[in-house]
This record gives sequence, C-alpha cells and structure tokens, in this order.
Amino acid sequence: MKIVGIAACTSGIAHTYIAKEKLVTAAKELGHEAHIETQGTIGTEDALTKAEIEAADVVIIAADIKIGGRERFKDKKVVEVPTSMVIKAPKKLLQTIEQKLNN
Amino acid sequence: MLAKLELKKHALTAISYMLPVVVTAGLLIAIGNLTGGSVIENYKQAYSVPDALVSLGVLGMGLLSPVIAGAIAYSIADRPGIGPGLFMGLIANSIGAGFLGGMLGGYLVGFFVKYLVKNLKLPKWAQGLMPMMIVPLLSTLVIGLLMYFLIGIPIVWATEALTSFLKGLQGSGSFVFGTLLGGMAALDFGGPVNKVASLFADGLLLEGVKEPEAVKILASMVPPFGVTISWVLSKVFRKNKYSNSEEENIKVAFPMGICMITEGVIPIAAVDPLRVIFSCTIGAAIGGGLSMMWGIGSPVPSGGLFIVPAMTDPLKFMLALGIGSVIAGVLLYLLKPVKSAEKEQAIVEEEEVDFSSVEIN
Repeated sequence: MKIVGIAACTSGIAHTYIAKEKLVTAAKELGHEAHIETQGTIGTEDALTKAEIEAADVVIIAADIKIGGRERFKDKKVVEVPTSMVIKAPKKLLQTIEQKLNN
Repeated sequence: MLAKLELKKHALTAISYMLPVVVTAGLLIAIGNLTGGSVIENYKQAYSVPDALVSLGVLGMGLLSPVIAGAIAYSIADRPGIGPGLFMGLIANSIGAGFLGGMLGGYLVGFFVKYLVKNLKLPKWAQGLMPMMIVPLLSTLVIGLLMYFLIGIPIVWATEALTSFLKGLQGSGSFVFGTLLGGMAALDFGGPVNKVASLFADGLLLEGVKEPEAVKILASMVPPFGVTISWVLSKVFRKNKYSNSEEENIKVAFPMGICMITEGVIPIAAVDPLRVIFSCTIGAAIGGGLSMMWGIGSPVPSGGLFIVPAMTDPLKFMLALGIGSVIAGVLLYLLKPVKSAEKEQAIVEEEEVDFSSVEIN
C-alpha cells in the first residue's frame, strides 16, 4: 500500500513525532510505503506533496486535535485514529486497515 | 451521538492552541516578578523593563479564555468559528466565568456557526455577505446575549463555588485534592489527562487560586526525576535494570524535567508502561497532596525549577517535590526487574488494541 498521513497531538512536541516514527517504521516492515506529515506546535513539517496524496491508497490521520488541510483528501479513503492507537499498535493497525480496504 | 460531537477533540485542540500562550505569559510574569517588577497601573508614568514584562504576562493571561473559546469554535466550525469564539472568550473574562465559561461559549458558538453555515440559505445577492457579516454577527449576537443573560450566570456561580471550595480546603481535604490533581497531571506524561489537569490549574490561577499550579508543576517534574532516581539507584546497587537505550533516554529526560517538560519520560514509559506510570503517578500524587496541604502557591503556570523562587514557599515546594520524586524513584527501582543479557534485544510487543472503531471513509 501507499500510505500518506498526518500526525498531530495536543502538546505537539512529543506524541506527534512518536506517532510518525511508529507509522513509518511499521509500514516499512510490512512492505508498505508511508509519508507522514507532522502538525506540531512548531507548525507543519514534512508537508505532503500533491503527487504523494494522489498516489496514495489510503490516508491515515493520527490526531487528537483538529488538523489543518483536510480538504486535500477530499476524494481519498481516510482513516481517523487517535495518536495513542498508532503508538500502541502500529503494525496491527496497518494490517486492520489493509484488511478493511480489501473487503 | 455524543461521540459524533467529538467534544474531547475540540477541547484538546483548544488546549493545544492555548499552551504556548499560557506558558509564555507565565514565564513573562515569573521573570518580571523575580526582577522586581509589578503590573503597570498607569502607562503615563515611567515604568521599568520588569514592570513591562509582568504587565505583558498579565495581558497574555487574559488571552486564555478567548483563545480557548476561539480554538474550540475553530475546531468545530473551521475558520468561521474563530471570530465569534474569541468574542465568547472575552465575555467569559468580563462576567467572571473564567475558562469554564470560555469553553462553554466556544462549544455553543462553534456548533451554532456550523449550523448556520450549513443551513442558512440566502438569495444569491446576499451570499457574499455570509462569511463576512451575517454568520459572525448573527452567531456572536445570539450566543453572546445568551452568555451574558442566561448561561453565564450558572457558570459564574460554578466558578465562584469551585474557587471558594478550593480556598476553603484545609488539611486532609486539600491533601486529597492535591493527590488527585497531582496523579492526573503525571498519569500520561503530558497527554490528554495531564492537559485537563493543567487547564484546570491554569483556569484557577486566573481566579486567584495559586495552589493547583504548584501541584501541576510538581507533578510534571516528578516523573522525569523519579525515573532518574530509579536509574541512579540501579547504578549504585549495580543492578542491571535499564537497557542502553533507556539510559540514553533518561539522560535526555532529566534536563527536560528541570524545565518541567514531562514528555521526556514517554520513551522510557513506552517500553515499560505499567511500572513507570504506576510509580510516577503514585509519587506525583503524594507530592501533589503534600504541596496542596502545605498551601504552596505558584503565581506562574510553568517554567520548572527556574520559577520555584517565585513560589510562596520555595523550600517546602522543593521538599514536596523531593519526597514525590524519591517515592516514584524507589518504587520504580523496586518494581523494575533485573534484565537478563539476552532480553536486552527483545522486540517491544505491540499492545492489544480494539480496532472496532476504525472506519475508512
């Protein structure tokens, strides 16, 4: 799968980046490709490009707060989860998503 | 139905936007106070740099309710929510409804704006006026009047009751309250529960109740100090309880702890959540209880060890902090199993999580 996503937590200094790290590592281990944009307190980093979004099979929004730029994913399949879920079980989450996509 | 409203997400968004404001304002007041400044009453007379810092900090504190209300409304209704939300926060400030009023106002106006944007159908010639005039004016006017004359009253009453209840707490009552607040603040290392406790303490500071802030500051520092103490103990007694990567993380978490950034403990807690969370929460709860019982107040919401001199009783605060940290450290040291050599490389098992709520839209 090609995955794009956004990570954003409340304080925007820790969980955001842990969630990104976990998603990217888990995706790599499962043979997927993931680009994750972080929306921390410092602002948006590693912003998703238009091409990345277009190529993606699924959008994963791992956020505890409102994220910016949602309209970019208008015609995409979007999964919304809290950051805690991504941090606790990133691989299982990706597997679940893959299953649900195939059904 | 209730889950659909995503009330929690809106509140967390508000806290997220409020944090930099309240931290900056708090530090400005702290720096100003420590250098002998006080609030400028009359700008026509001469004032000093410390005076300017304190005054700016106090102005910043006044932004708390508007930012909360504005951000909640933004989270609900997107951009059109911001303006009306800010207004609701100003109302909350002036009628004395504090941060509770700001939150409620933000929710109400946010949902109202969302409703208006979706359902208000206007003739073509008036559509350009929608975002600029009709939606903001109508929502601010309707919810604003509601706040002034109806909803504000019980909130003001609740705020006053809460404030006087906390001011009236003595002995064991205040210990229990401190334990609760301290435990909450330490429970998830800067996550949502901590932020709720934090918002509560910040809000009370606006009402002139300073003790919860001291508890919050203490409870945010206990976890990093606690794990550090536990690590030092493991070194002293030559017990191999921490992996190399954990050691590295603790070396980062400690200085972060001095600055009251409790998030540094997350990587350490992530590999062993139960033991770390349990001991840190117990330590912070006891430290918080003591701090509250001894009536230590902090005029500033954050800044870690650097703002301890600004507290009402710095020595006792350090004592409570020390007791809490030592309890957390010793507990964690005792609970931590000794690592066997080959276990070091063990892969972190993923937790069982209920994915039934995961939906693809």
